[in-house]
Amino acid sequence: MTAWIADVLIVLGLAVMTLGVYGIVRFPDVYTQLHASSKAAFLGVSILLVATALGGGPSILARVVLIVALLAITTPVAAHAIAQAAHHQGEPMRAPGAVDQSGTVRRLPQRHDG
Amino acid sequence: MRHQAVFFAGVLWLAVLLAVAVLSVGRARSTTERLVALDVAVLVLMGLLGLGAGAVRRSYPLDAALALALLSFVSTLAAARYLGDRRPFEQPEGPGEGGTG
Repeated sequence: MTAWIADVLIVLGLAVMTLGVYGIVRFPDVYTQLHASSKAAFLGVSILLVATALGGGPSILARVVLIVALLAITTPVAAHAIAQAAHHQGEPMRAPGAVDQSGTVRRLPQRHDG
Repeated sequence: MRHQAVFFAGVLWLAVLLAVAVLSVGRARSTTERLVALDVAVLVLMGLLGLGAGAVRRSYPLDAALALALLSFVSTLAAARYLGDRRPFEQPEGPGEGGTG
């Protein structure tokens, strides 16, 4: 029974993962691509790892719990850092109807190498 | 076994996705887009390692996935903060940065 649940989870995880990669290819700018990378790809990996844990022993389960917890903590931090860097670099928002509500226009810091 | 065949098919599909992700690293228009694509490529590779662990019913590929997760987080954070402030390992200064930023 758990093997069938694992199969369903694998198919679901692969579908979510495919949507994440497709989002990277298709979305027009960094800010929308971050949606695909930080939500879809992370969710897909988590589902695949849970499917792996269903068929494995306690050593696999412990590692899966560790990896999923680590990803759940680090993925939003990394996505936030990337978005901040993109905004700092003045990346354009190419999505239709996008509005920059931050109220700050950031410029690249002055380089000191002349 | 039939159920293990699903794992192997998943590994193959993720290999295709990994190729697409690596190609999208190459065709990114800016450095931050490249960073995002690289992040996704690492996540796909982690999923591949996880499914590989399920396929062979061993836990050692998951050790590699764990190391990859840590390394990817640190490298992404360092690169993003270098792109933003040019100072990856210091506390950001000035209004609107850091803190609640």
